[in-house]
Amino acid sequence: MKSVKPEHFRFNISDLDIATSDIEKMARIGDEMPSYDDFLLYELDLLNNNTKIEGGYIIQPGQIISDEIHINNHIFKAGKEVTHFLRKMNHAAIFICTAGKEVSERARQLNNEGHLLEAYLLDVLGSVIVEQAMDKMQNIIKNRLYEKGLKITNRYSPGYCEWNVIDQQLLFSFFPNDFCNVTLTESCLMQPAKTVSGIIGAGQEVTFHKHVCHLCNSINCIYRNTLERKN
Amino acid sequence: MENLLEKIATCIEFGKINKAAPFPPDMKGEDGADELTQQAIEKGIAPGEILSNGLMPGMERVGVKFRENKVFVPQVLMSAKAMSAAMLHLKPFFATGAAGRKGTFIIGTVEGDLHDIGKNLVAMMVEGNGYEVIDLGTDVKAEKFIETAEKYPNSVIGLSALLTTTMANMEKIVKSVKERNADRKVCIGGAPVNQDFCDKIGADSYNPDPQGVVEFLNTLAS
Repeated sequence: MKSVKPEHFRFNISDLDIATSDIEKMARIGDEMPSYDDFLLYELDLLNNNTKIEGGYIIQPGQIISDEIHINNHIFKAGKEVTHFLRKMNHAAIFICTAGKEVSERARQLNNEGHLLEAYLLDVLGSVIVEQAMDKMQNIIKNRLYEKGLKITNRYSPGYCEWNVIDQQLLFSFFPNDFCNVTLTESCLMQPAKTVSGIIGAGQEVTFHKHVCHLCNSINCIYRNTLERKN
Repeated sequence: MENLLEKIATCIEFGKINKAAPFPPDMKGEDGADELTQQAIEKGIAPGEILSNGLMPGMERVGVKFRENKVFVPQVLMSAKAMSAAMLHLKPFFATGAAGRKGTFIIGTVEGDLHDIGKNLVAMMVEGNGYEVIDLGTDVKAEKFIETAEKYPNSVIGLSALLTTTMANMEKIVKSVKERNADRKVCIGGAPVNQDFCDKIGADSYNPDPQGVVEFLNTLAS
């Protein structure tokens, strides 16, 4: 399994087009509240110097059988909802992407110092960093597969819908140990916390959906909040 | 006295930490929770009274507003910060037993789940309403909840989960806790959880928001 070498990428904060105003909006900093623009710029500058944002993927033939994703004799029990969106795939990009440990450590430090709101902003920032980096990587995957005549689906991760986090073990088996300095805890959680992993389906007839909030039941998600306020 | 306590409650409600704090703009330059709590102590108001009639009503009001989507996480955090500033003055009295707590609440995000924002909000709100809170953090196993609860005989356990798939762990933890002590109260919360799930797994209370947890604890404490 590990004989296929994953593609590996590093990203700088400056690559990720992060607007501090977007972070404030996602965190729902109200108009009546002080601006945290300077704070966020300072933190972004700090992170730009010391954080390791990285990710990687491998592409393998794969298909959906019943409610399962089958890749190289490995079976992911992703459940009905996820497999419904992947059902026409004939390849899969398996990915890991992390914002690094520094952003969470900084959030923890701020929280311990009693800077609760600033810690929350760092937490939101960490989520945005990893998702933006993953967007970049997804774009790379999309372009690479497009050259082969394949389209991609949205990305789907263990832990959401009916897909149990225990499948992280299987997903990580496609990568070398400690790939991107990401490890799994005993209960299959990824460390650093601001890490995403999952599968993107690929095939001639798969569909990409603009957003899939209806699939997820997180009512306090920063992305759902942002979308709802735009609509 | 009532006026001073009401002013403290207003500071907590709107997140006015101290005189130097610029937020909220319409209270700029005014004393905040920090100064007013100090003044209340100097006037001889009992710490328990400051907590019960100043701080707690303020936190309750912000909790209700959060439930009603009138304020969001940042405003609640500002209130929690104002609460912390006031509590710095009161903590020495609590440590000497001069003011009692309503009970002990043990909270954690269940095994397999690292999400903690909702859990932290509940912890802040419960603490702000006069309870001792023991926060076990995230990815917490049943054994840890049981072990901690046994150190605090009348404590109540709160379980949080965000991932659909960690709801199963919530069920496992409730079962283990109840097997050990059927009378131990357990409340649950988190995005994927609802009342039906609460009934199914034998938990004692489901609450969709932090204020609901406070109200549940208050029914047990009264």
